Amino acid sequence: MGIEACDCLTPFGDAAATAAALLADRRALELKPVLGRDGGDLVPLALTGPMDETLPPHWLSCLHRLAVGIPPAAWGSAHAPVIVTSSNFGVGSLYAFTRDRDPRNLAHGTPFASVELLRREFCWGEHVHVFSHACVTAHLGLAHAARLLHAGLADRVLVFSYDFVSPFVAGGFHSLKILNGQLPAPYARRETGSIGLGDGAAFAVLTRGPAPCRLAAHALYNEMFHFTANQPDGAGFAACAASISAAAGGRRVWIKGHGTGTLEAGRLEAEAMARQFPNAPLTGWKGSLGHTLGSCGLVELAIALAALRGGRIPGTVGGQAPSFTDNVASQPFASAAFDGAILISNAFGGAHAAMLLTHD
Amino acid sequence: MIERFIHQLRVEQPAPDETAAGARVRLADRFPRTALRRMTHLGMLIGSTLDGVPLVPEDALVFASTFGETRALEDFLMSFPAASPLLFQTSIHPGGVQQVLIGRQQPIARLWPLAGRTRLVEQALLTAVIEPAPRVALVGGEERGTWMLEHAMASPRSFAFAAILTREPAGAAARVGFTPGMETDDACPTLENFTQALAGRRALSWHGAGGAWTFDWL
Repeated sequence: MGIEACDCLTPFGDAAATAAALLADRRALELKPVLGRDGGDLVPLALTGPMDETLPPHWLSCLHRLAVGIPPAAWGSAHAPVIVTSSNFGVGSLYAFTRDRDPRNLAHGTPFASVELLRREFCWGEHVHVFSHACVTAHLGLAHAARLLHAGLADRVLVFSYDFVSPFVAGGFHSLKILNGQLPAPYARRETGSIGLGDGAAFAVLTRGPAPCRLAAHALYNEMFHFTANQPDGAGFAACAASISAAAGGRRVWIKGHGTGTLEAGRLEAEAMARQFPNAPLTGWKGSLGHTLGSCGLVELAIALAALRGGRIPGTVGGQAPSFTDNVASQPFASAAFDGAILISNAFGGAHAAMLLTHD
Repeated sequence: MIERFIHQLRVEQPAPDETAAGARVRLADRFPRTALRRMTHLGMLIGSTLDGVPLVPEDALVFASTFGETRALEDFLMSFPAASPLLFQTSIHPGGVQQVLIGRQQPIARLWPLAGRTRLVEQALLTAVIEPAPRVALVGGEERGTWMLEHAMASPRSFAFAAILTREPAGAAARVGFTPGMETDDACPTLENFTQALAGRRALSWHGAGGAWTFDWL
């Protein structure tokens, strides 16, 4: 399906500014208290504003800035549906409510209430599909959009994703001990793994019409081995990689991996990609931006498109030698040698998602 | 017209005051004891509706829940400042269905967890009927909240359903039909109303998503 428009918002700014920052090897992550004003250990967070919930929520003004770039249409009508994807929605406001007991925080705490707020703010119709599947959520939204278009049930689809860090999610990942005092070093072979978390939002308008950049295929797979661990033999990574590889055919691709900075998943991912795509450089950007959770697939798609427009793909910001595998790109590289990219995300439950981005 | 046939339909409508502890006793024979200890009310209800329903890795599963894992969310929020890792992972959508599939060690090709409200049933059905897998498990449900319910942010009742959708009419219990057209939307059944219709074998029809929906019993 053609990508008519796509942009994102990160602490660096829009997709072009973010791609430029990644090419310059800049990190948005900074060590900050895990529970915001309630303190706690310092952990790497990449924020667009205050982590503590505000009224109205800080993320709403960010989303208004992002939405300026959405092409006009009767969004939310049956033939121009909106697909909202997130793993957090406005959940930070529920944390604020339990702390402050201010009922105004409840107005956008649940997924439905948060999306209703967006629907009112952006004047969308009722046809707003809401998906939430942890860190592969945006991939699901894009894949579902492609299906609606393919079936002739929509003419254009707006996929809109947002995840903003709050004490709720930072505290949760900190309790799992993978959000700690270290900055993430994706795909690095080191003693202790760590991730960072980041604010991120993005949109894409998909169409059946011609476009210079296209999402040519999607692959999804769910291991259901463990809530927070992958099958030790990497079978889930391999299954998803094999599926998207079949769609890629003989294309010369580069790979934007998930690469959060955890050790086991990072190793399994790097090894699976090296086996399936032995000539493809593997890069990852969460060492700079942190993990934008359910939105990462769409945020990183927007950055990939901006990087393609500039002709240079950012390397693995924050990576360290030695890497798990030789395919990890530590430095930026030219896009001219490639005619496609594979974008990957993974999630709790051993969920795997990949999409094939092709371009003229 | 796009049509799919419903097989192996199961509905759980427990007593309104059933708690997770009560469900743990009532459904004890459905789950391994070690898994049961950690399951949420919604997870147990979904597990019960999927009990005996064989799934294979090539299947897809569509999961519809407006509020999702409410009790885990409520308890996780109350666990701060010593946030509970177990409650955190369980509170994340689609924890209710993942508890069941992980308990069964059941990989699945595609899992589509929806979290809307007003047109959730229609969107879940639409997701199911355009899914290319020959068999699609359509699962939905809610669990009754406590303090979030007091603020109208949780379901007042617990319930769940599961059905297998295929293209095979033989032996089917019901048929879902979607005829694309230019009809104006009308009200879509709520998830709870849809579940009640499944339990009571009641036919449904409405307009939405750019077409006409029918749900007929065979």
